[in-house]
Amino acid sequence: MAESTMKPPKKALSPVKWMREHLFSTWYNALLTLAVGYLLVTSVGPLLNWLLFEANFQGQDASDCTGAGACWLFISQRLNFFIYGFYPDELQWRVDAMFLLLAIAFVPQFIERFPGRKWLGIFGMTGLPIIGYFLIPGGTFGLEVVESTKWGGLMLTLILAYIGILASLPIGILLALGRRSEMPIIRGLSVVFIEVWRAVPLITVLFMASVMLPLFLPEGVNFEKLARALIGITLWQSAYMAEVIRGGLQAIPRGQYEAADALGLGYWRKMGLVILPQALKMVIPGIVNTFISLFKDTTLVLIIGLFDVLGTVQSTVTDPAWQNVAIEGYVFVAFCFWVFCFGISRYSQNLERKLDTGHKT
Amino acid sequence: MARKLLKAYVSKNQLMFGEKTMRKTKSIALGIALAVGTFTASGAMAATTLENVKEKGHLQCGVTTGLPGFSQPDEKGNWTGIDVDTCRAVAAAIFGDASAVEFTPLTAKERFTALQSGEIDMLSRNTTWTLTRDASLGLNFAGVNYYDGQGFLINKDIGVDDALQLDGASICIQAGTTTELNLSDYFRAKGMEFKPIVFDTSEQTVQGFSAGRCDVLTSDRSQLAALRSKLSDPSAAKILPNTISKEPLGPVVRQGDDQWFNIVKWVLSVQINAEELGVTSANADDMLKSDNPNIQRLLGTDGDMGAKLGLPDDFGHKVVKLVGNYGEMYDRNVGPDTPLGLDRGINALWTDGGIMYAPPVR
Amino acid sequence: MGNPMTEQTQTSNATPSEQDNTGKKSDIIRVEGMHKWYGDFHVLKDLNLTVAQGERIVICGPSGSGKSTFIRCINRLEEHQQGKIIVDDVELTDDVRQIDTVRREVGMVFQHFNLFPHLTVLENCCLSPIWVRKIPRKEAEATAMEYLERVKIPDQALKYPGQLSGGQQQRVAIARALCMKPKIMLFDEPTSALDPEMIKEVLDVMIELAGSGMTMLCVTHEMGFAKTVADRVIFMDGGEIVEEAPPHEFFTNPREARTQKFLQQILAH
Ligand SMILES: Nc1ncnc2c1ncn2[C@@H]1O[C@H](COP(=O)(O)OP(=O)(O)OP(=O)(O)O)[C@@H](O)[C@H]1O
Ligand SMILES: N[C@@H](CCC(=O)N[C@@H](CS)C(=O)NCC(=O)O)C(=O)O
Ligand SMILES: [Mg+2]
Repeated sequence: MAESTMKPPKKALSPVKWMREHLFSTWYNALLTLAVGYLLVTSVGPLLNWLLFEANFQGQDASDCTGAGACWLFISQRLNFFIYGFYPDELQWRVDAMFLLLAIAFVPQFIERFPGRKWLGIFGMTGLPIIGYFLIPGGTFGLEVVESTKWGGLMLTLILAYIGILASLPIGILLALGRRSEMPIIRGLSVVFIEVWRAVPLITVLFMASVMLPLFLPEGVNFEKLARALIGITLWQSAYMAEVIRGGLQAIPRGQYEAADALGLGYWRKMGLVILPQALKMVIPGIVNTFISLFKDTTLVLIIGLFDVLGTVQSTVTDPAWQNVAIEGYVFVAFCFWVFCFGISRYSQNLERKLDTGHKT
Repeated sequence: MARKLLKAYVSKNQLMFGEKTMRKTKSIALGIALAVGTFTASGAMAATTLENVKEKGHLQCGVTTGLPGFSQPDEKGNWTGIDVDTCRAVAAAIFGDASAVEFTPLTAKERFTALQSGEIDMLSRNTTWTLTRDASLGLNFAGVNYYDGQGFLINKDIGVDDALQLDGASICIQAGTTTELNLSDYFRAKGMEFKPIVFDTSEQTVQGFSAGRCDVLTSDRSQLAALRSKLSDPSAAKILPNTISKEPLGPVVRQGDDQWFNIVKWVLSVQINAEELGVTSANADDMLKSDNPNIQRLLGTDGDMGAKLGLPDDFGHKVVKLVGNYGEMYDRNVGPDTPLGLDRGINALWTDGGIMYAPPVR
Repeated sequence: MGNPMTEQTQTSNATPSEQDNTGKKSDIIRVEGMHKWYGDFHVLKDLNLTVAQGERIVICGPSGSGKSTFIRCINRLEEHQQGKIIVDDVELTDDVRQIDTVRREVGMVFQHFNLFPHLTVLENCCLSPIWVRKIPRKEAEATAMEYLERVKIPDQALKYPGQLSGGQQQRVAIARALCMKPKIMLFDEPTSALDPEMIKEVLDVMIELAGSGMTMLCVTHEMGFAKTVADRVIFMDGGEIVEEAPPHEFFTNPREARTQKFLQQILAH
């Protein structure tokens, strides 16, 4: 047909025209452009100087940080500590293996058409935590035990965030379903659970988990602090997750429930095959939002003396042998968090695009 | 179970009312603490702390989450500091291995509960020995490894040489320490006013001082020099000579296990005595041949001092050889050659004009 | 029971009072003295209906008369509070297993299609056979393709519902219901959300289905369809069955005043 060869008209602009249209269209836009441009020019240069050109990367100790820029030497010397915490050097291959598996499972998710990436993703959410469960603490398969008190740094941040994220999703789903259940007891319990946990700041939950809980546990039952913190984080996060998912459930038209009922799917298959796939897809942005904020909230564990990546940095920037390395330390932490949070956010955008079947109900 | 609940009650008080209010509830808490002690002591079937530690194969020691000179991870992630060495010495005494110890970093709020609940075997965390803590928390202080006191760091510009001239000053403080309380006690006693500016971490406190939010920064003296060195221009600030409070810092154990209390107390005493007797980690082996009976008892070549504590008789030798005497421990972590650069001051031996004095090993 | 209209139509089969046993065999739906309330609102009042296997029934009536509510009671999308509903010898009670058994045998087509937007047409059709009937995927897909051919859209099998026209979607919805090989099909105004040119394609499919001997209950205002296909037409108003007659009689010689008024309005269009 004739139309098929016709293309939409292209809107090509020369750079000058583009600038006139986008940057200098009116006098106040022009003013704004100039002001922002001035700020960029005056701030980006010094920033880059500090970050890179005048920064110190090499040397032995504090006295080698002579340049005016950042003292990255401090970070690079302690990198091992910031990544692995107190995990014994000779056993760090176990953590490295987990990092590698994490990369294998999730990096392909950013590559369109990577063969079997769906399966890698599924592995990342099932096999990976199982392997980690055996590999990181050791104690089985002839692996030497490494107590959780020795875990730290970025590794601990990832463990906290990963388990928190992974476990809170199914619990959140169950709570959301419970809250919409027609059975009054289940609904009541879900509402109470959600509202209680949501009303409490994470910092309080962590503090309770670390300070109060051990005293109320029966004698002999001694949870590790990390486990207690993880349970606290997971339950707290589930309550938030439940509310996000409930939003999705509510947005599904009644006709979908009825059609599934009419097909005789029964409650669990109706939810699992028809309602949840749509509801979850709808609230991906909300879910990812809570994931990202959880990822950042894990830093709060430092108030209960767990050394996540921020904790390790914070505990060493006060080293009197080094002058004012706090900024470098916090920039490093910010960078670590940015990498992962940006990754999560990009991944969710990919997912949204992939799951988009074009049309809403 | 009952013991757990009692402990829970004690620490709940501590958590909810803070230490200041706790003085008021002292009598109740004291009674309960006594009961806790009785329970612990009467728990004859329960293993002693020493047995537990031996069975685990390591000592679990609570330290700060990072305080220069006292306990801080180095670039390899190894804990260093005088509080850390105090723990290592106990491990050396029990196992003949100074590395048979694991550290639990604790915040100021967590420290006592961690000890009460049995999460750690001893607490060596820059902790001031006070009556309230000793008597009402079910704890025992086993000695002093550093005599500290609260002091002031000031901006030279304000032209002050003595704390008594600080009336009306704005003062940067770190929240949640005994420091805050001491400060208001001192100013009230002297009939002076001050404007507190409270920060959450010591890092922020320095930044606040550095940015001119306050004229004065107050903290334990042991930290002032280190904090001063963090300033962009250290020479613009100076430390005032006044010490406004007594902060004897030392290791703490659970109440009710006297054997364990004695072990921690005497390991520290052995280190102090070793310095007095001139025994160091370098000469500890040679000193085994010494005919000074005090040294012989200290190192275990004569007598059964160790057995009395439930330790090997050569525990003193192991402590000094592996960790060093008190002076070595001091110099290595906080002494003049370290970034903290603290003179011995009152922490010098009594024989050198200080107050560091340990009962004899006899 | 003593409803004269019911008994009159029953004559084409058998009077239930005479032949309880054999009557049950061929009566696939029996509704006896059924009432339903929404809160205090009495929506359905003393409904009695017996449908024989293979019978095609059209239900019509003014808006709000309770037609949808009635047929939704037959597969328990709505709960009734009084009386009996027996479908394929299974009585509908609170028992979840009984409800699931009935739903498996009763297909339903909705006014707004209610296809699952996250699944392709083919997946929509296979979902229930695979998960409820436990039919192997291959076989389920083959069956689904058969039905999609029957509703004349096999070429759309891999598209998502959002990519189809309304008429196509409704035909998929019919195919999806048929894939469960139900004994009864319920239609709730299947054409009223469609543009006129699409109504015919859906009606054609329904007519073809009627020809195959399926038991059908259709709520519809398509009087042409009623005339050609229905064995009986039921007129509801105010939650009651007002009149029940074979289509010829119903359209040419309605007995009740309310029916006459309704027909006048409808045919005036
Ligand atoms: N969930 C509900 N709660 C309360 N009342 C309802 C509910 N659903 C329907 N009704 C009421 O019940 C009556 C019957 O509704 P129903 O949908 O069965 O009518 P209908 O005959 O199908 O009408 P239409 O031709 O408009 O589809 C109406 O008056 C309606 O307002
Ligand atoms: N000795 C006082 C104060 C101890 C204290 O908390 N000191 C601060 C520094 S002055 C500290 O330990 N900071 C580091 C940390 O909290 O880990 C006490 O026992 O309350
Ligand atoms: Mg209707």
